[in-house]
Amino acid sequence: MFNNSRRSFVKLAAASTAAISLPSFAFGAVPRVVVIGGGAGGATAAKYIAKDSKGAVHVTLIEPSKRYYTCFFSNLYLGDFRNYGSIGHNYYGLSVNRGVNVVHDWALSVDSAAKKVNLGSGASVSYDKLVISPGIDLKYDSINGYSAEAQSKMPHAWKSGTQVQLLKSKVKGMKKGGTFVMVPPPNPYRCPPGPYERVSMIAHQFTKTNPTAKIIILDPKKKFSKQGLFMEAWQRHYPGMIEWLDPETHGGIKNINVDTMEFETDLETFKADAASVVPAQKAGAIAMNAGVNKGDWCPIVATSMQSQADENIYVLGDASIAKSMPKSGFSANSQAKVAANHIRGSLTGSKIFPARYSNTCWSLVSTNDGIKVGASYKGGAEKIDVTSKFVSKTGESAELRKATYEESIGWYEGITSDMFS
Amino acid sequence: MRFLSFLFILSFFCKTSLAGESILALGDTEYGQHLAGECVTCHKANTSKGIPSINGYDKDVFVTLMLAYKNKEMENQVMQMIAGRLDNEQIASLALYFHQIK
Repeated sequence: MFNNSRRSFVKLAAASTAAISLPSFAFGAVPRVVVIGGGAGGATAAKYIAKDSKGAVHVTLIEPSKRYYTCFFSNLYLGDFRNYGSIGHNYYGLSVNRGVNVVHDWALSVDSAAKKVNLGSGASVSYDKLVISPGIDLKYDSINGYSAEAQSKMPHAWKSGTQVQLLKSKVKGMKKGGTFVMVPPPNPYRCPPGPYERVSMIAHQFTKTNPTAKIIILDPKKKFSKQGLFMEAWQRHYPGMIEWLDPETHGGIKNINVDTMEFETDLETFKADAASVVPAQKAGAIAMNAGVNKGDWCPIVATSMQSQADENIYVLGDASIAKSMPKSGFSANSQAKVAANHIRGSLTGSKIFPARYSNTCWSLVSTNDGIKVGASYKGGAEKIDVTSKFVSKTGESAELRKATYEESIGWYEGITSDMFS
Repeated sequence: MRFLSFLFILSFFCKTSLAGESILALGDTEYGQHLAGECVTCHKANTSKGIPSINGYDKDVFVTLMLAYKNKEMENQVMQMIAGRLDNEQIASLALYFHQIK
């Protein structure tokens, strides 16, 4: 990947500028970073380390999928606002434009003592710094009666890909006037507004093809992200179609019978004609294997995104405990830039800037009706602290809502270009 | 074009309109490149629907717009938030950086 002249230049540069502070790399090989996971956190980290170090750091990205379908905007596919192909991306840009060594394989285990990652193929990759950005795993048994097998009948569709296509086929194939049951996950989970944008998009789909259908939301939470905005939108665009039941009303889901499509609660047993069940979540398994988790998620140093358990490992995105920063693609992308700057500084002596983060979550509630919530953050002494925040208002003009939706399209183009090109 | 005509009006009435030249001297292109990471999550090299490209932007226009967002004289919650925590050195650095990239 690197020709001899560049390698010599890198050695020379390292020797001349960083020999004293970084003896282990001064005369040795180019330092190596391994990134596990090619989503919003991992792809961005790999790109920025490679781009900004200009060959002074060797970057390997481990990602099993050759084509990556974003979770963000998968709801718009459910509502027919995007086609499936438009949310798929590949890694050619990272490989060709940035010189990232993209390895399509599973990271099976991390040997943090030997500083290497073991791959599904049997090979292993050594690292000086490791980035773990695996996203979520689902706790299928968090709801009685739900299971990995049940996902083919009641798709969670909380990781993009075939699950989302399956859910769409269930929505489109639901009998006329039938009932769709949506079970959102308990906190904390990937994409806080996601379940409610999903309901909006399914309602939009029903309005066109199945206008007497009903949607019942059996929520384990008493409140949810952008609640007032979503409820206003449901009233306006889908009057009488959507019923949201909080746990005080339904008393909790006691059991799901996947065969009969029945949801047993204290209130009553709901019979569904189609359903989406999103169970509780935890950090991806490789984070647990690496031993950087504390319970279901991974504590990080707020100024660098380093694991609190291992200074050579960084944990990004959904898998991390970023406190008030939500688990979103935008957050992961933002955290990746902080980590990339810190990793490069640690390995090459480049300047490490104070950590600043930001996030915005856009949701589409109907045609040309977008809403958003966002905040900026800094790396505090104990945790990532909010510096300012905003949220759309109820009663906004149609013109503003259309502009917000168009802004979300621009953001999608922007972040996917930022991740993959 | 809407931005530019808005700017033309802004230059007559807005208290921040002439601040551009004075703060540009504070800028540093390399610092701007680092800070730009936050911008390019949304702004790409080519204008997308809803979000303009800011590559090659006029430095003074950039500064004037950012100060207008910061002072909430221009509407957009995301931009008001982003600009709101940038100081003059950071705004100038971003102006210099984005001006010189394609």
